[in-house]
Amino acid sequence: MGIYIFRRTLYAIALLFVISLVVFVLFSALPFDPASLTCGKNCTTEVIEANRIRLGYDLPMWEQYVKFLQGIFIGRDYGHGVASFTCPAPALGYSFFRQECVTSLLITALPPTIWLAIGSVTLWVGTGILLGIWAARRRGGAPDHIINVLTVFATSMPTFLTGQMALTFLIGKFGWIPPPDYYEPYQNFPKFFSTMFLPWIVLALPGLAIYARLTRGFVLETGSEDFVRTARAKGLPEKTILWRHTLRPALSPLTTLAALDLAFMLGGAVVTEKIFSIPGLGRLTIQSVIQYDLPVIVGTTILAAAFIVVANLIVDILYSVIDPRVRLK
Amino acid sequence: MARTKIGAKLSAVFAVSALLISACGSSSAEGSGGTVTYLTHAEQILHLDPQRNYTGQDLAFSVTYLTRSLVSYAPGAGAAGTELVADLATDIGTPSEDLKTWTFTLRDGITFEDGSPITCAEVAYGVSRSYADDLTDGPAFAEAFLDVEGGYAAYPGPYEATAEQQALFDAAVECSEDGKTITFHLNSPMADFNYTTALLTFSPVPLDEGGNVGEAYDKNIVSSGPYKIASYTTGKSLNLVRNENWSADSDPFRKALPDKVVVKFAQDEKGIDEYIINGTGPGKTALSLDGIYPDNLEAVFSSADMESRRLNDYDIYVTYTAVNVAKMTCLPIRQAVFYATDREALRALGGGSQFGGDFADGVIKPANLPTDYKPVTGYEDADPAGNVVKAQELMDQAKTECPDEYTRVTTKGITRDYADGDVARQGFAITQEALAKVGIKLNANFIDPGSYYGVILNPETQGDLSAAGWGPDWLNASTVIPPLFIDNGGFNVSQTKADPDYAAFAALVDEAKANPDRASQGAQWAALNQYVMEKMWVLPGLFTKTQYHWGSDLTGVYLWQPYGCPGFNDIGVKN
Repeated sequence: MGIYIFRRTLYAIALLFVISLVVFVLFSALPFDPASLTCGKNCTTEVIEANRIRLGYDLPMWEQYVKFLQGIFIGRDYGHGVASFTCPAPALGYSFFRQECVTSLLITALPPTIWLAIGSVTLWVGTGILLGIWAARRRGGAPDHIINVLTVFATSMPTFLTGQMALTFLIGKFGWIPPPDYYEPYQNFPKFFSTMFLPWIVLALPGLAIYARLTRGFVLETGSEDFVRTARAKGLPEKTILWRHTLRPALSPLTTLAALDLAFMLGGAVVTEKIFSIPGLGRLTIQSVIQYDLPVIVGTTILAAAFIVVANLIVDILYSVIDPRVRLK
Repeated sequence: MARTKIGAKLSAVFAVSALLISACGSSSAEGSGGTVTYLTHAEQILHLDPQRNYTGQDLAFSVTYLTRSLVSYAPGAGAAGTELVADLATDIGTPSEDLKTWTFTLRDGITFEDGSPITCAEVAYGVSRSYADDLTDGPAFAEAFLDVEGGYAAYPGPYEATAEQQALFDAAVECSEDGKTITFHLNSPMADFNYTTALLTFSPVPLDEGGNVGEAYDKNIVSSGPYKIASYTTGKSLNLVRNENWSADSDPFRKALPDKVVVKFAQDEKGIDEYIINGTGPGKTALSLDGIYPDNLEAVFSSADMESRRLNDYDIYVTYTAVNVAKMTCLPIRQAVFYATDREALRALGGGSQFGGDFADGVIKPANLPTDYKPVTGYEDADPAGNVVKAQELMDQAKTECPDEYTRVTTKGITRDYADGDVARQGFAITQEALAKVGIKLNANFIDPGSYYGVILNPETQGDLSAAGWGPDWLNASTVIPPLFIDNGGFNVSQTKADPDYAAFAALVDEAKANPDRASQGAQWAALNQYVMEKMWVLPGLFTKTQYHWGSDLTGVYLWQPYGCPGFNDIGVKN
């Protein structure tokens, strides 16, 4: 087991290294001159060239990548003289547009995204599973039909639409909910909750619908298995059959899915964060794309990829715990 | 900076302005106290660092609340807001007889937020920072006008300068021993140099930059105005509180009405409008820094409830198409492009006459440069929807006078540079169809907006035509004609040096720049605007308009002409 985990961890590290290389090369190959992007309309050739040297864009691409990797482990210095500065390790670059180290930007943007992801994933997984179980137990009945219709509706409503409608009507037009004003929960919990409540719901709606439908299908499928029939033949109560025998195997694939969804969400919920003014990774990413802030785009892309890789690693390890056949392979 | 519009509208503008002035006068006294909130979708104010601040609205915000300069514009609606007044200085500057030396004397009792006095050393240090390569985006007027021996290349700014290099700068900007007088030595005569000093390039910065040197100063500026930064978080908010070391006695015009000023960043654009229109959230005491969302313009301007809290006025900009004279050498073809273009359809894309603006007849906008404007003549037959007959006549003329270029534009075609976007692509389709009627083949080069100016400012990558816009840096066409059409002006996208008559034009520009008589100088600029149009170095677009709305509890909102945005100085909260 230990060897398996060690091996998978090594794979994950190698994968992250490859991703960083690919992302770096891809963004370096874009038809933009990052030095030119450091100043606007009234820029001069002298200023562009000075910034090219100061930010290291004058070096060959392979050397830029080596410096990028070095920065991750030992930090990186920019400029010289009294106006020089250092981005401490792990340094993922420097945003000239925002005048901040990329790592610092990511660290600031990460907590809001984590809270948004945890809240919404909990909401959609929890509620989705409960609704799915209810629909499965009332198969063919009114609750099943109602949940079916609602889930189709929720799945077909894109987040940018529900989010914009919620903001426009519930906050802007009627003033029923205070406008977004993000605070960390430990700074001001009431403001944190009032800001996050609506985004959690908006973001959870489509996922909730999908999980409800998946759960319904898994529960019904497992319920028709021989071992469930046997349990029922033994005279076990329906609650015991559901919670002990049906749900455990039925929800295993959903656990994997939920872990990956959470990892995906940690990369940032672009639309929701933008609509509700949540200063998270998603908004940082979209702003950086709009501003052609290439170092930040590289940083957010690598971080998002790292979340997926780590989530996959955890899932792989959990699978090996659940099913010994996996680690034997 | 860059764009606004025309004569027939002036009387209406001034009439509205007069009403606004009287309204402001009656409401300002009751506007003190409370919190004024500004809402924007932007993540931050682009630059608060005075030497990097070069956007109209950001300049107006900083000038009002945080950063004083040697001189400033007297806040007010209409023409009153364009008057140059002393700020840190005791007067608006004294030129030498040859106009190559300007002297300013500083007031008594002027301090930074920490109570330390502002002397000419801090002003000179601020100006020197504008030479530093890493402090980008600010105007380059100090480098252009100051008589630093060897110019920009000889002085790298205060961070990297050797003692010898610093001496070059110090010779051009002299600070008196008592710290009260600063003298600027210019490399050529300049009658309106004092207008340049209204830009924050000429603002003081503490010699230690408050411990946040270089780029770090942008988020940690040391205030010299009536407010100081209490907190500033990119993507969230900027909170200003009163600067207890600012004294109204040393400040001739700042009212400092609210107790607090809050800028909320990263707001949803449509959400901002909902707050303001419905008075929800912070809407009652808020003004949108983004103007009005285009989808809501009709609703806002047809609502009786919004009548007293909206404005639709000319901003400072003019839009135009720069003609690359080095590539399009044939005047009849340049004129044919202008005549054939369907400007009416293009204006409709930008909000039509009500919200988009008026058709420009040159690059000098009468709304903010009335002294320098005179209607351009000779193109009265240019139908806004396109005059195909006239355009065809010009193409026939070109076929004889410049057959090679005629062949090129009708076969290979000409290329127009666009900053990519939906409106740009629609505009291209309209223009392509219009020019095709006279046989001109139009190609598009859609450029990513972030790289746009880098591409069109490089003659090797620029196309035949380039979309552009401009606004005066101060209220003199000396900040329009020279930068747009003089070879080292900074934004000569028309590549006018390729025109055989360029030398004669440049001589006329030099004459106008050195003319100390403002009235006759204005006539010279108007004549040069006419010259530019006769040469068709640009295809004029629009004298553009801007729209704003604000909450029901705000008072004193008007458009501050020099910056083309609300005049923050009179904005307060109803008691």
